[in-house]
Amino acid sequence: MACNSTLEAALAAVASAAKLDVNQSAVLTDFVCGYDGRIGDAVTGTNAMFLLFSAYLVFAMQAGFGMLCAGSVRAKNALNIMLTNVMDAAAGAISFFVFGFAFAFGGGAESNAFIGDYNFAQSHFSADDALANYGMWMFQWAFAAAAAGITSGSIAERTQFTGYLAYSTFLTGFVYPVIAHWVWAPSGWISAFNTGNMFLDVGMVDFAGSGVVHMTGGIAGFMGAWIEGPRLGRFDAKGRTQEMKGHSGTLVVLGTFLLWFGWYGFNPGSLTAIVPADGVLKHAIVARAAVTTTLSGGAAALTTLFARRWMTGHWNVTDVCNGLLGGFAAVTAGCSVIEPWAAILLGFLAAWTLIGMNRLAERIKYDDPLEAFQLHGGCGLLGVVFVGLLAKKSFLMEAYGKVEGTPYGLFYGGGGKLLAAQLIGAICIAAWTAVTMGVLFYALQMFGLLRITQEEEAAGLDLTAHGNSSYVFDDGKGGQDAKLLPPDAFQAKAPVKQGTERV
Amino acid sequence: MGVLDADGECFTAIRDELVKLESQGVNGTLLATHLCDLASSLVSSTYGLNTFFVLISAYLVFAMQIGFAMLCAGSVRAKNTMNIMLTNVLDAAAGALSYYLVGYGFAYGKDGNKFIGSGSFAMHDFKSDVDYRNWIFQWAFAAASAGIASGSIAERTQFTAYLVYSTFLTGFVYPVVSHWVWSPYGWLTALDPEKEHLFKSGMVDFAGSGVVHMVGGIAGFWGAFLEGPRLGRFDVRGRKQEIKGHSGTLIVLGSFLLWFGWYGFNPGSQVAIADQVSAIIVARCAITTTLCGAAAAVTTLFAKKLLVAHWSVADVCNGLLGGFAAITAGCAFVEPWAAVLLGFLAAWTLIGMNALMEKFQYDDPLEAFQLHGGCGLLGVLFVGLLGKEDYVEQVFSRGNFGGLFYTGSGRLLAAQLVGAIVIILWTSLLMGICFALLKAFNLLRISQEDEIAGLDLTRHGGSNYPGDDHHPAKLYPPTALGQAADSNAKNVYSSKV
Repeated sequence: MACNSTLEAALAAVASAAKLDVNQSAVLTDFVCGYDGRIGDAVTGTNAMFLLFSAYLVFAMQAGFGMLCAGSVRAKNALNIMLTNVMDAAAGAISFFVFGFAFAFGGGAESNAFIGDYNFAQSHFSADDALANYGMWMFQWAFAAAAAGITSGSIAERTQFTGYLAYSTFLTGFVYPVIAHWVWAPSGWISAFNTGNMFLDVGMVDFAGSGVVHMTGGIAGFMGAWIEGPRLGRFDAKGRTQEMKGHSGTLVVLGTFLLWFGWYGFNPGSLTAIVPADGVLKHAIVARAAVTTTLSGGAAALTTLFARRWMTGHWNVTDVCNGLLGGFAAVTAGCSVIEPWAAILLGFLAAWTLIGMNRLAERIKYDDPLEAFQLHGGCGLLGVVFVGLLAKKSFLMEAYGKVEGTPYGLFYGGGGKLLAAQLIGAICIAAWTAVTMGVLFYALQMFGLLRITQEEEAAGLDLTAHGNSSYVFDDGKGGQDAKLLPPDAFQAKAPVKQGTERV
Repeated sequence: MGVLDADGECFTAIRDELVKLESQGVNGTLLATHLCDLASSLVSSTYGLNTFFVLISAYLVFAMQIGFAMLCAGSVRAKNTMNIMLTNVLDAAAGALSYYLVGYGFAYGKDGNKFIGSGSFAMHDFKSDVDYRNWIFQWAFAAASAGIASGSIAERTQFTAYLVYSTFLTGFVYPVVSHWVWSPYGWLTALDPEKEHLFKSGMVDFAGSGVVHMVGGIAGFWGAFLEGPRLGRFDVRGRKQEIKGHSGTLIVLGSFLLWFGWYGFNPGSQVAIADQVSAIIVARCAITTTLCGAAAAVTTLFAKKLLVAHWSVADVCNGLLGGFAAITAGCAFVEPWAAVLLGFLAAWTLIGMNALMEKFQYDDPLEAFQLHGGCGLLGVLFVGLLGKEDYVEQVFSRGNFGGLFYTGSGRLLAAQLVGAIVIILWTSLLMGICFALLKAFNLLRISQEDEIAGLDLTRHGGSNYPGDDHHPAKLYPPTALGQAADSNAKNVYSSKV
C-alpha cells in the first residue's frame, strides 16, 4: 500500500489530465502519499500500544500470583514464596533475554522445527520484524515468567532457594522456549502458523497457552513436588490427609482478582495485534476472547461454589478462587475459537476437573500447596482437548487465517484431525517437560540442593533462609524478632521523651 | 472515509469516475484501489483503537472489583472477611452468567420498548466486535452495582440471600434502569439526537451516579434496613457503638484500586477515543474525576479533624470515594472548578448522610447507602445545575439544554429529578420486595450465635487468618462462643493483613 513509483506515476497522469501545474501536482502527490504514512503510523501505534499494554497486564499476573501464593502458604513461609515470585520475573527476564527468546522464536520461518537458533540476547532485533521486536519480547517474557511462577507453587514451603533459582532459569531459558517454539513459532513442527508444513493440516491450536504455559508449568511443578515429597505433616503416620491452610484468605482473593485482571492481557492479548496490517477489521477476536475468558472463569467459580458446598457443607472462598483460576487456565487454549456458551460449559468442566485432580493427588500422596499441578496441569490439558472438540470453523478461520477445508472441532463436524493434533501436542509437551524437569529436579535432589532440612521446615523458611519475618507487629519488643536477640535487648535505657508534635 | 460505503465497500461511483480517466492515460483502477485501501486502513485502525480503548476501560472497571473486595475486607471485622470477599468474587462471576443470559438483553436488546430491552439473550445474535466489547464493558458496570449493595448487608447476611439478590439485581433490576438512561430506546435517555427526549432534555448520567451508584446504594439500603443493624451496633439505649474494620491497610489498598479503576469507569464511558471530540471528552473526564475525588478527600480530612479531633484514614478514603460517586454523572459536562466544588459538597453530603442514618439506627458497614446513594443523588442533581451547555452539546450532538446556572432553563434539572425519583422508586420496590421475601422465608439474616462467632467460622470452613503455627485456630462450637470469641479474639483473629 506504500506510495511507490507506479502510484506516483498514476497521480502524475491524473495531474496532467486535470491540467494541474507543477505545484498543484506536487500537492496532490504529497497529500495522497502523506496519508499512507499517517495511517501506517496510526496502525503501528495502535498495535504497539495493544501489545505493550497486554504485556503489562500479563506482568500484573506476577503480582497476583505472588499474593495468591503468599496467602496460600503458612505465614512462616510467606517471604520465601513471594521472593521466588519476584525472582521468576527477574531472573526469568535475564535468561529469557540471553537464551529463551532465541530458542522460542529465533530465526523466524527459517529456523528448524524443534528449536530456534537465532537472536540470542536480542542481537538482531528490529522494529520491522514481526516477531523479533521489543514489544513482542516483552509480551513473550511475561508469558515465560508466568510458566515459571506456576511451578514455584508446587514446591512451596520446603524447597531450597538455590533449587528455585536453578529450576526457574532452566525452565524460562530452555524447557519452556522449546515448547513455545513447537507450538507458536512459524517453523515449529506442530505450530498452527507453519504454513509450509502444517501438522495434520491444522497444527495444534493453543491460542494463549493452556498447553504451552499452564501444562508446562504444572508438570514441571509436579516433578519437583513429587521428587522432593510432601510437606511435613501433610500426610500423617497412617497416610491420612491433614489440611494445611494458608494464612490469609484476603491475600488469596486479592491474588485471584489480580490474576483475573491480568488474564485480560494473557488471553485477548495473544492476538498480539488489534489492527491487521492490511484489510478491514472484520473480526471480533480480541473482544470475543475477553468475553469467553470471563464466562469460563465465572462458570467455573459458580460450579465450584456449589460443588464444594455440597461436598463439605460450607461456602469455601479459597476453593472458589482456585476453581475460578482453573476455568481461566482451561479457556486459555480456545478463547478465540469457541463460542460463549461453550466457554460456560468449559468452566463447568474445569471446576470438576480440578476437584477430581485434587482427589487423585490425595490418593497418590502428592502434596502441592497451590494445587498448581492439578489446576494448571489438569485444567490446562482439559482446555487443550476441548479445542479439538468445540473449535468453531469460522472462528478458526478468522483467528488463524485458516482456509476452507481445514479441520475444525469434532462436534461441529470438522473431523478428528484437530483433536488428534491437540492430543499429540499435549502428550509431547507433557513428555518433554517431565523428562527435562525430572532430570533437573532429580539432579538437584542428588546434590542435596532441593529440599530443606526438617528443622528448617518446622521453623519456617522466612526465619531460616531469609532472616526475617513477613509480619512484624510488635515493633521489635516481642514477637519473632525477640527470639533472635538477648532477652534484655529492649530494656528502656532512658526515659522516652514526650513528643512535641501537636499533630 | 468518503470512499467507503456503509458496508466498507469501496464506492463504485468513485471507482467508475477514476476509471473513466483511463482514456486520458490515467491508471484509474490503481488510484481507486489505493484510495479504497487507504480508507479501509483508516477505518480498521480507528476501529481497533476504539475496541482497544473500550476493552482496557472494561478491564479497569473490573479492577474495581478487586478494590471493592479489599475495601470491604478491611472495613469488616476479621471474623467476617472471607464472607464479604466471597460475595465480591461472586458478584463478578455470577453476574457474568446472569448478565450473559438475560441482563444485557434487558438493557440493550434492540427489540424491546422504552421500558425494557429485548433480544441478544445469551448473545445469540452477537456478531461484530462492537457486540462483544460492549458486553464486557457493560457487564463490569453491572457487577459494580451489585458489589455496592453487598457492603450494606455485610457481617449478618446469609449466603443464599447474597446469591439471590445479586442475580436479581444484575439480571433484571439494574439492566432495566440502564435501558432507560443509556439505551437509545430508553424513555429517560438523552442519547439519539433524532428522537424526542423527556422535557426536550433527557436524563444526563454519563457513567452512572444514578444508574449504578444510586441503584446499588438503594438496593443495599433495603437489605440493611429490613434485616436490622449488627448486634451491638446500637446499645440498649440506642447509642451508637463504633464497630471498626480490621485492617486500615486493606481499606487504603482497596480505595486506591477503586480510584485506579475509576479511570476506566468515567472516561471509558465515552466508549470511543479515536476522534478529536472523543479524545477531548475522555481527557476531561479523567481530570474532573481526579479533582472531585481529591477535593472530597481533602474536605473530609479537615471536616473530620474538626468533628472528631484526629486525621481519620478510613473516613478520608470513604470521602474520596464519595467524591468519585458524585462526579460519575457529570464528569464529561462540568468544568474543573465545578468538579472541585462538587467534591467539597460530596464530602459534606456523606458526613450528613452518616449523621442522619445514625438517627434512624440504620447500620451500614461500608456506609454504602450513604456514599453511593447519597453522593450518587448529589451527582445526578449537580449536572442539572452546573452541566455546561457546550460540553453537553459536544457529547450528545445536540444543543439547547444544560445546567440551570448556565442556561437559565430548568429542563435538564427537571429531567434529573424525575430520573432520580423513578430510579429510587423502581429499585426500592423491586429490591424491597426481594429482601422482604427473603426475610419472610428466613433466608436473610443469620442467627445471633452465628453473628457472634463470625460468618467465616460458621459458613466458610474456617477463619480467614488461620493463624501461624503458634496459634492454630480451632472451630468453636456455637454455644461456647459467647465468651470464647471475645476473650480470645486478640489471639485467634490477630490481623495479619
